[in-house]
Amino acid sequence: MIKNGKVLYFLGTLVVAASLCLSGCSRKTTVVLLPEDDGGAGAMTVSTDAGTVEIVRAGEATVVSSRTSRPSPPEELSSEEIESVFGEVLKNLPMKPVHFILYFEFGTTKLTADSTARLVEVLAAIERRSSESISVVGHTDTVGDTSHNRRLAKGRAEAVSRLLVDKGVHRDYIRSTSHGESNPLVETGDNVRELRNRRVEVVVR
Amino acid sequence: MNYKMLFCTAVLLAGLPAICLASRDSIAFVDSVRGEATIESAGRSIPAVANMKMFTGDLVRTGSKGSVGLIFDDDSVVAIGPESELQVEEFLFHPAEDELSFVARMFKGTFSFITGQIAKLAPEKVRLETPEATLGVRGTKFAVEIK
Repeated sequence: MIKNGKVLYFLGTLVVAASLCLSGCSRKTTVVLLPEDDGGAGAMTVSTDAGTVEIVRAGEATVVSSRTSRPSPPEELSSEEIESVFGEVLKNLPMKPVHFILYFEFGTTKLTADSTARLVEVLAAIERRSSESISVVGHTDTVGDTSHNRRLAKGRAEAVSRLLVDKGVHRDYIRSTSHGESNPLVETGDNVRELRNRRVEVVVR
Repeated sequence: MNYKMLFCTAVLLAGLPAICLASRDSIAFVDSVRGEATIESAGRSIPAVANMKMFTGDLVRTGSKGSVGLIFDDDSVVAIGPESELQVEEFLFHPAEDELSFVARMFKGTFSFITGQIAKLAPEKVRLETPEATLGVRGTKFAVEIK
């Protein structure tokens, strides 16, 4: 009799364990914060119906087993642990796009000397990413009428595109557009000379 | 924005929804693909290839040796590992109009992220869901495993 009772108890435990597994231990979410390129780290919140855990240091992780349980307290993972789970998916993370602003001499499509020198950095970014997606957007300040500035901004974008193509960038990878005077970096009144608005923005993706 | 909506409404009334769908803005593109990976877009599943555009609602799915790298319009970058599924539920990046939002759902697999301008400008508008948890982000790099 005692034996049978033990068997029943054992079976009962199995059923309870199995039903818990269906809702909980068959799945879990692990979230780990990672160091950014500059060495710092941001912060994240991980929430369920039962509460929120914050992870704020590079390498800190929390594990969540269900919507109805609290995320585990933050725990530091070793770089080996991170590598074994996330090594592959981190290797495939694309490089973050980079933005450049190049400035122009007043009323022209001629880059300033400083900005001409920066073209080297733009080309290096394109090469590092093997980029096939480069956008070049031209802008003007508010001197002159709108349609003239639309053409001037287009001319600036095309001038930069040509410089990149001359250095070996495939023309099909560049998308060049004009915003005219409508999207200034610095707000000014009409007919105001402003170097910071006479620009081309290059985004290398 | 309003012109586009008006245009779309007119097109839909004329019974030409395909044009309207084709004119919606892309939100990201495929930077790299390895192995088996598909994107389910507007009910159709197509193999993912480099430079393919992505739209709100798209679901990325990878096979046992598959992986995909994505670059979003706000400079967020995401890698999706093998046996994984991720759907972009909402993506708005119009800083001038203050329309910002990034909501994605991960169903299974491994993922890595570097968040971009939306997380910088409006961190409260970034929400990532897994079956077990909701993640909030303040401009950062992180990884997620669901298994």
